[in-house]
Order: sequence, then structure tokens, then C-alpha cells
Amino acid sequence: MSAQTPVPAKPATLPTLESPQSDQSLPVVNQPGVPFVEIEALRAREFIPAAKEALSSLLKEQAEGKLIRPVFNWAGRNSLFPLHWGLACCAIEFAAAFGARWDAERFGVVPRSSPRQCDLLIVNGTVTWKVAHKLITLYEQMPEPKWAIAMGNCATGGGPFRTAYSVVPGVDKLIPVDVYIAGCPPRPESMLDGIIRLERLIKERGE
Amino acid sequence: MQTNELAASLTSRFDSRILGVDGFPGLLGRVRFEPAIALDLFRTFRDDLGFSHLTMVGGIDWVDHREVFYALWSDADRVYVMLSANLPAEAPSIASAVPIWPSANAHERETWDLVGIRFEGHPDLRRIFMPEGYAYHPLLRSFKIFEPEDLEVKVRSE
Repeated sequence: MSAQTPVPAKPATLPTLESPQSDQSLPVVNQPGVPFVEIEALRAREFIPAAKEALSSLLKEQAEGKLIRPVFNWAGRNSLFPLHWGLACCAIEFAAAFGARWDAERFGVVPRSSPRQCDLLIVNGTVTWKVAHKLITLYEQMPEPKWAIAMGNCATGGGPFRTAYSVVPGVDKLIPVDVYIAGCPPRPESMLDGIIRLERLIKERGE
Repeated sequence: MQTNELAASLTSRFDSRILGVDGFPGLLGRVRFEPAIALDLFRTFRDDLGFSHLTMVGGIDWVDHREVFYALWSDADRVYVMLSANLPAEAPSIASAVPIWPSANAHERETWDLVGIRFEGHPDLRRIFMPEGYAYHPLLRSFKIFEPEDLEVKVRSE
């Protein structure tokens, strides 16, 4: 029973697909700006990462800074889709801003009903502790990039209910807020002004 | 029915466990009772005296004790009556009125949430205004209004 069975010796290195023997004579593909002709000479296994690297470096250097980011910034800030989540009397002014008289769709602002389609959360009204986690859930369901506006005194700092036991004293305790709109409730002009300021803010930040 | 008739019929059933029947403006009377006879008293009021509707349940914090009160409405006599009981300040609890009047459900949840009176036998005694996991009963006199700057935000506390 105590006879030792000889263990077959393992090979020192197993050949694996993940670590190919690198050929030092090939061009270094990790540096940006590899000419396409030299990529053609690569082996098939190395072609895709090399091409990806070349393309992405090309995009990073030339296209992203000058074309993609400004275009996305321009498109995003001119088509802010706020979430239609009315909480209190500010929602009446919010709704009035999309009526015929003020027509907020001039600025590309179209309220949507699903947070998945929105990039702007306008908190209009008094947020209580009971509904606070639902506000955070809605904010987290929105795709990036996203912004938030605290509309009215209640959402900004709790308003007249600031010291009440059931009211969140300002939604910036819960989510990051970009623009605060004062008023109780703010008129639709104030809301449009806040949206235009947010557009300027997005342009300055280059998001 | 008059206040003295109500007092006579109640004391004939519950004698000394009815602590008093007082006149009260706008009501048939205010009945003070011991919390131990709560369910029997509720049944008497609904089945024998015709108070078919429980209008509200509330609570008061009197620092040394707490008071729970019930407002009842009689469709037959078209009159209100108020029942009230004193509970100890330490762990106040009383039998739930939900088996007698189902409309007590939300009122008792509210009284538990804000004043901290437990209702034994309530089918679903959760908080109703404050989020679950909230540590205080905000209408107690020992509750201090917090400064918003010192607030520690705990929203998801389950």
C-alpha cells in the first residue's frame, strides 16, 4: 500500500492560446498611429486587437475631441427629456410650461413617462422621507449622462416644511442637483430660465 | 338616548371598570374606560347600542401617560360618542378595534406611527406616514425637531 506511484513530470510551460510567443520583429501595436500597411502583415490572432487599437487611437485623437463630444454635447443639451414625475403644486407650473402659452418644446424639452428615456430629473414638489428612496431609484434608473433640477423651494431646501419630521430638507441630500429654481411655486418662465441655464452649464462643462 | 342613560346602561354592564361618563359639547358623552375591557366595550357599543361606524382613532401624549380615543357614530341616533382610555407611558398597548370596525385599520396604523401606541391583534401594524425603519414616533413630546444640517440621511434602512 505504501508503494509510491511515479508521478509523470509536468512540462515546464504549457502552450496556451492566451500567451503566444511574441515575435519581436513585428511592429509594436500598442502605440498610437500604426500604419495600416504594417497591420496587414500581422498574424490573424493579433490583427483584431491591433486594428481596434489603431482605430480607437485614431478616434480618440482626432474624432472624439473635435467631433463626437461636441456633437453629443450639442445634441444632448438641446434635447433634454425630463421625467414627468409631479409631486406637488410645482407640477402644475411644470405642466403649464408645456402648454400653448409657454411651449417649452421650443427648447427641445419633451417630458417622458419612463426614466429609461430621460436624461433630466426635475424634482417639482415636496419630497417626504416615505418617497425618498423611490426618488433615488428613479434617478438611478435614468441612463447617463443625466442631470437634476430642484424646482421650487420645497425641493431646494424643504421650503416651509424644512423642520417637519416627514419632509426631506432639500433633495440634494439624496441626489446631485445641478440647477436650483427658487419660487413657491416658480412661474413657467422661471422653469424655462432654469432649463436654459442648465443647457449653458452642460455646454461649459463639455459633458 | 341621553348621557345619563348611556352612563346607566354602561355601569350596569361593566360597573367600576367604566371610569366615568362625562358630558361633552357636541357629543353624546365621553366614556373613560379601563383598557382591559376594550374589546367587550367595543362589542357592546356596536351590537347593543348601535354605534355602527368608527369615525376616527387618535392618541395624545400626556408625558406621564398616553391617551387613546375613539370617535363613534350612531346611524340610528345620529349622535357621536367618544371613548378614551389612559395607557402607561412605558410600552402603551391596547386591543385592536379592527375585528369590530374594519375602518380602524388605517387609523390605528397612524396612531402607532405617530404616537407609538401598539394595537394588539391588528392584522397589519406597519408605519403609514414614515418609512419603515424610522426610529422615532414624531408626535411624542420627547421628539426633538432636528436641525436639517445635522441630518444623517438613511433612506434605505431595511
